[in-house]
Amino acid sequence: MKKYLVMTLFLTQALMAQQGSEKISLSFENKKMEDVLLDLEQISSFRFYYVQSWLKDEPLSGDYNQQTIDEILTSLFRDTEINYYVLDDGKVILTRNNAIYDKVPDFFLQDIALKDSTAIERPVEKESTYNAPIFYKEQGVATEGPIGTIRIGREDNDRGKQNYLLSGYARNSKTGRPIEDLALVHLGSENGTSTNAEGFYEISLPAGPNLVEARALGIQTSQYRVIMYNDGELNLELNESLEALQEVVVEGNKISNVRQPITGITQIDVEEIKTIPLVLGERDILKVALTLPGISNAGEGAAGYNVRGGRTDQNLFLLDNAVIYNPAHFFGLFSALNPFTTGGVTIYKGNIPSEYGGRLSSVFDVTTKNGNTEKFAGEVSIGPVTGNITLETPIVKEKSSFLIGARGTYSDWILRSLDTEELRNSSASFYDVIGKYSHKIDQNNDLEVTGYYSRDNFSITSDSIFNFSNRLVSLKWDHTFKNEKNVASLIASNSAYRFNIEFDGDANGDFDLGYQINETELKLRMKSIFGEDHIVNYGLSGKLYQVEPGNVDPLNPESNIASLQIPKERGLEAAIFLSDTYTISEKFALDVGLRYSFYAALGASSQRVYEDNAPRDDGTLVEVREFDTNEFIETYGGPEARFSARYSITPDFSIKVGFNNTYQYIHTLSNNTTASPTDTWKLSDLNIEPQQAYQVSLGLFKNFNDGMYEVSLESYYKRSNNILDYKTGAQLLLNETIETDILQGDGRAYGLEFLVRKLTGRLNGWLGYTYARSFVRLDSDFNQERINGGDYFPSNFDKPHDFSLVANYKFTKRFSGSANFVYQTGRPVTFPIGTFEFNNADFVAFSERNKFRIPDFYRLDLSFNMEGNHKIKKFAHSFWNFSIYNVLGRNNPYSVFFVTEDGEIKAFQSSIFSIPIPTITYNFKF
Amino acid sequence: MPIKKTLGFSVLLLLLSGCVEEFIPETKNFESILVVEATLTNELKQQEIFLSRTRTFEDILPNKEENADVRVTDDSQNEFVFTETQPGKYVSDVSFEAVSGSSYQLEITTSNGRGYVSSPVLMGQSIEMQDVYAERITNQNNNEGMAIFVDSFDPTGNSRYYRYEYEETYRVIAPDWISSDLEGVPIPPFRLEQDCNVRISSEPRSPDKRICYPTDFPNNVIITTTKNFDEDRVQRFPVRFINRDNYIISHRYSVLVRQYVISPEAYDFFQTLQDFSETESVFSDTQPGQLFNNITSIADVDEPVLGYFEVASVNERRIFFNYDDFFPGEALPPYADPCNRVAPPLQDMETDCVLRPLIEAETFLYLQENFEPVNIEGPFIVVPRVCGDCTVLGTNELPEFWIE
Repeated sequence: MKKYLVMTLFLTQALMAQQGSEKISLSFENKKMEDVLLDLEQISSFRFYYVQSWLKDEPLSGDYNQQTIDEILTSLFRDTEINYYVLDDGKVILTRNNAIYDKVPDFFLQDIALKDSTAIERPVEKESTYNAPIFYKEQGVATEGPIGTIRIGREDNDRGKQNYLLSGYARNSKTGRPIEDLALVHLGSENGTSTNAEGFYEISLPAGPNLVEARALGIQTSQYRVIMYNDGELNLELNESLEALQEVVVEGNKISNVRQPITGITQIDVEEIKTIPLVLGERDILKVALTLPGISNAGEGAAGYNVRGGRTDQNLFLLDNAVIYNPAHFFGLFSALNPFTTGGVTIYKGNIPSEYGGRLSSVFDVTTKNGNTEKFAGEVSIGPVTGNITLETPIVKEKSSFLIGARGTYSDWILRSLDTEELRNSSASFYDVIGKYSHKIDQNNDLEVTGYYSRDNFSITSDSIFNFSNRLVSLKWDHTFKNEKNVASLIASNSAYRFNIEFDGDANGDFDLGYQINETELKLRMKSIFGEDHIVNYGLSGKLYQVEPGNVDPLNPESNIASLQIPKERGLEAAIFLSDTYTISEKFALDVGLRYSFYAALGASSQRVYEDNAPRDDGTLVEVREFDTNEFIETYGGPEARFSARYSITPDFSIKVGFNNTYQYIHTLSNNTTASPTDTWKLSDLNIEPQQAYQVSLGLFKNFNDGMYEVSLESYYKRSNNILDYKTGAQLLLNETIETDILQGDGRAYGLEFLVRKLTGRLNGWLGYTYARSFVRLDSDFNQERINGGDYFPSNFDKPHDFSLVANYKFTKRFSGSANFVYQTGRPVTFPIGTFEFNNADFVAFSERNKFRIPDFYRLDLSFNMEGNHKIKKFAHSFWNFSIYNVLGRNNPYSVFFVTEDGEIKAFQSSIFSIPIPTITYNFKF
Repeated sequence: MPIKKTLGFSVLLLLLSGCVEEFIPETKNFESILVVEATLTNELKQQEIFLSRTRTFEDILPNKEENADVRVTDDSQNEFVFTETQPGKYVSDVSFEAVSGSSYQLEITTSNGRGYVSSPVLMGQSIEMQDVYAERITNQNNNEGMAIFVDSFDPTGNSRYYRYEYEETYRVIAPDWISSDLEGVPIPPFRLEQDCNVRISSEPRSPDKRICYPTDFPNNVIITTTKNFDEDRVQRFPVRFINRDNYIISHRYSVLVRQYVISPEAYDFFQTLQDFSETESVFSDTQPGQLFNNITSIADVDEPVLGYFEVASVNERRIFFNYDDFFPGEALPPYADPCNRVAPPLQDMETDCVLRPLIEAETFLYLQENFEPVNIEGPFIVVPRVCGDCTVLGTNELPEFWIE
């Protein structure tokens, strides 16, 4: 039997063709299966290898005339658990799925005991000789068996419980780093879980002996024979697999997409995107998110993300638990997250866990990798725009480490090399730095500290200098209590975003303008495990906002600009939350959460009070009310439900439903379609109410071919209230009476999202299609506050059809190619419907808002990747990436605009990348 | 508005090999919309109101709104009726002035029977400009030339929003004016064959064609606000910049600057109008849409109407300067036309006339005889008409206000 187990490794569908073409005629009546097989051996060159007990004794009948072995066997085993493989040399191996492990047959264990490590490696080496794709599943089955038997817990006399909880940490045995997204599967029931960013896992296992398989990308798949006598802990030390080049696919959450009770969740692992074509050589995890259903932006090069028909300000970007306000560089062309230090991002676009709040549409939870606690390591990338270096070093071996990543533009060469004189005098540069310290204080205490700073500088006209920066620091302390059923995390964070404009013209209007927002949050999150079925998260958080909405100062004595400071705004946002992940049965699980959020706009402040039922303007101002420091100006708040449920129809097919509602107390002021660095954040106050949203979602999740394909179909319907919009021509910056320019309206969005992912094999990738609509309604009794007659109209980012294909093909271990194709309906625009003469000049008359659309968007990118050699002893591992962005040279319009020049109207369309852009990036790791 | 200006960067993103292309939009779903242009001022005069309609991009001719009933009422129940004097131009039957503290309302009934009414607009106080002056400057685009600045100050701090208009009148001297003209040799009656000959006319060219005083009414929206300033003081506000190589300042130049004190709403309207016509920038896309205005259709509140009924105090000031005052001894700007000299032949190969029709159509004017014709050149050197006759550019009558 050993022979067969090793051989299964080589199995491929391709091989079946070799002898499969032999035509066989056979007929039998009321024969046992084994006899039929023996007959087959007689009349053909095939030899069968099997375990007798697998074969059914029921009599079979059949008549096959000139059929292939394939056809005969398929029919023969149709109603059995038996799979077959036809080998090159005519050997046919029968296997029985799952059942092997269910009973843990004696021969199996003996076999494993005999194996040595070389036996594991050999077949993998051969793999390339056979030109076979990687069959992770088979590899797992065949090569790695249970590593001895582990007994968990002391056997109680009272063995009343049927299930016990196994928990622990998974670490890379070489680097000591936690392994995130490691899938732990209970073989037999296919019940499973995956590890979090700290490598922590929890899995409920039936009492008695169990086989648990641990697998993750780049990690050697391992099985453990665990005998559960009680709840207990098992820390896993796992080896890197020979597939350590890691760029193929993520295998981690193999079943979690089906099992997870939460709807609308997307996870992206940085390794997963390594080969995706790049823009100007920058790997960008958030840009990859755009290829997944439900996440889009206004257009190429636009900053800001629209999640399920929401505005760009409705996303909570967390970098190691601290808010990052503007995660973009260079107007959104690049994201401000360093791709080498980022571990992964989890995007909650449907049901947001109750511990998060404050934004309507989504949470982008970005985590930074922990540093290497074993040895010094680093990674360097050289691209056309930026250079990037990441270093990791242990501080106390196996206990603490420090990781630092820095990235910066080389120079302004792109601008300098341009033909346009105006732009040659411009400059633009950016950099970001991130540092993370992680410390395992003892068995029960972990500490993580992250600091981050990013900055952009640019000067486009000779008389202005512009810069913006993000700064954040976060601290997290995890404590596991004695009974190991309670884990507490204390999180403190502070984030700031600021921008500054200096204008030095020649009139009396020279000025220096600044904006800043600062928030400090303290959060306590508890996780408790009650019994075998409940995992309860609860806690509370408090956040203090301080906004300096703008100050303008004269730049020189001649300037007639008065020093103007829009008064500081302050707000307090607090929340308590509770959620229970309740596994009712193997098939049915619930995630029920409740959050109560409370917001208070704090003084000192002067608030303008306007007449009720009248348009807000200077004329309807009733009084200006003064508030003292820390006096509550206005309070808002309410309960937020976070509910989702999963029902498994079969282990790899589930249906999920979700409902959630959210409040948002902070809003961006932006009259741009896209997010822009000059967008300012405004707190809710007496005149501006919080935004609210309600979403229901329904999803179907199915895995095929043993997890090789993941297919999901999700739908949602969302309503929102008090969405911000503006009167036409509103002046948003430095406006002391901003509320007179703001409109608050209703939003409505719905969509259907289809995603199929192929996770393994030479060809992998995904295909997503979304049909989604998003509408806004701005209605009022007053003409100037009503848009489009007060009816629903498509929002700026309403793009009904959105298709993305990301495909990755691995030619050999060292060479791979990828392609990325995107198609989207053009976004709505307000189009000119004619011209008119006014004041002796011609002007354009516009249609109702967003009545027309710009042309559809499509783009194809290609890239080719080459890994350095695979020698074990070498200084560094290198990686080349050649990308061509926009291969088709499609001139995708970014915007359409109209200009009156000399009394004549001209229409223009601008695009960002109208020609194919090739780039080369070189990375090396040491 | 200085802040706006800063943000008015050109489209930055084109720097990444992108491009900005002009295209001709098609007018989609055209519906003609009434456009109202009405400014009542505190000048005692026959006030004027202009009505037109939007037209498609393909239409070139203005689309005037004719035969409408137009009247303005004030809050003392006075009614001022307007009568159409030219297509689309309506003039009040009597002279009147908008009085500070009174409010006015515009009512229009178009020839198709639809009624429109404005919201009542209050006439604010009037203030005087302190100064209008010209200076030789180099502007931020590194161009040298003349700037016309305005200073204004409202000690009460109530004005805050300003709109400017200007009209400029300038002396031009036709550089190639001479006292004689060419004419075709008269063709006797009943003679059929053509005669391509021209001769120097016995009638001299009028000296009135040498010096002219054209007047331009530029069409851009010029607004500013002192909203963000300590004092309600407009200082060195540039109303007009004239590049030094513009022929209009070659001799003597005069500009009349009119300052309107407008309401915040009117400011918003003009601001939006201005935004609509400016280059979009990365930082300040203007969300276009239907312009807010203070005129609505009585029958259908949702019917779009364009334009604005404005009631504003106006104040004007005229200044003059000579080129020599600021550019003493420096070369004059080039004339409006390069004035290339040509000597067309009398006849071409096909024996068709060449020079004679050009002279008779007054496309070219005589400059001098061509004593040494080369190749097929004709006997007379001529120049484009504008070089010898400035009335092409504007009137030759000395304006009444003109001061030397």
